[in-house]
Amino acid sequence: MLSGLFKRFTTKKNSRDDAKKRLQFSLIYDKLEVNDTTLTDLQQDIVDVISKYFEIDKDSLELKVKRDDNVSALVFNTPILHVKRKKV
Amino acid sequence: MEGKIIVVTSGKGGVGKTTATSSIGAALALEGNRVAIVDMDIGLRNLDVVMGLENRIVFNIVDVVEGRCKVEQAAIRDRRIENLFLIPASQSDNKDVLTTAGVERIAKQLRSKFDFIIMDSPAGIERGFENSVVSADEALVVCTPDVSAVRDADRVIGLLYARSLNPKLIVNRIEPARVVRGEMLSHQDVLEVLSIDLVGLVPMDEKVLISSNTGTPLVLQNDSKAGVAFRQIARRLNGEEDLPIEMPVYKTSMWHKLSKTFGLKQ
Repeated sequence: MLSGLFKRFTTKKNSRDDAKKRLQFSLIYDKLEVNDTTLTDLQQDIVDVISKYFEIDKDSLELKVKRDDNVSALVFNTPILHVKRKKV
Repeated sequence: MEGKIIVVTSGKGGVGKTTATSSIGAALALEGNRVAIVDMDIGLRNLDVVMGLENRIVFNIVDVVEGRCKVEQAAIRDRRIENLFLIPASQSDNKDVLTTAGVERIAKQLRSKFDFIIMDSPAGIERGFENSVVSADEALVVCTPDVSAVRDADRVIGLLYARSLNPKLIVNRIEPARVVRGEMLSHQDVLEVLSIDLVGLVPMDEKVLISSNTGTPLVLQNDSKAGVAFRQIARRLNGEEDLPIEMPVYKTSMWHKLSKTFGLKQ
């Protein structure tokens, strides 16, 4: 009884909030996953833009959907080989 | 007469789709409509036992589609509720015997003979689902407040949108006490996640199992919380769109109120 009372004071575990958060992420992820071509197209566009300014290693780049506790983010990773000089 | 076809879907099985279909159909008939409930789950028919009509089946939906009988011959009249009919699924046929073209053909006849045609879609998003939605004018999605049901509901909602249907949601088996304790998603949580219109909230009710045990309509039992909720959903579908949606409430005990005051609970 007393430990039960103590528990009420200390722990604030709420599985309802967990469920909601996990659902919100999985639904976003489901939708992104469905559109695989969109991701590929997006990757190509990003590469085109970056290539105007940097020379990048096109074989080792990656585009991922990253899920954290609070945010889901698009992460684009690419090694930069050279900075292109601006042509005058 | 130009009837309306309403499909009841869920994605996930076991969320109360059959109970919802039979209860809403029965309640629409009680409102004075001529109603046909159609079991679209070929090979796994269920509505007949839930509605207590299993001993009176002669023909089924496949017989109608294949021209072996007329719609009127396959429609079993409910003896307790006037103007309520069931067109059962076939139990033996291969589920591929039903095609969208076949369903569209009989949809026309059904519309001319009934005010409301409620189609009970099988679980899943395969052929049976396609057959159930092909002629639908409106769609209802049933979902329980758990992660798997909500996720599947989201998938089905997407598929319905793709067919230009604007589905409405029924949240079934809500346990207000558990929502208060933070153990269950509230209907607001579910709505926020799915962003879809709501048509009704149905509380968890032990009477549902009891009424299916005996094959008696839930909506005839006035002491059934779920039955009352389904009757209200039927009234909303029957044109009373502004009928307020009642929230299932948790009757708070003295202890609960006290602990709330002292900040022990949220």
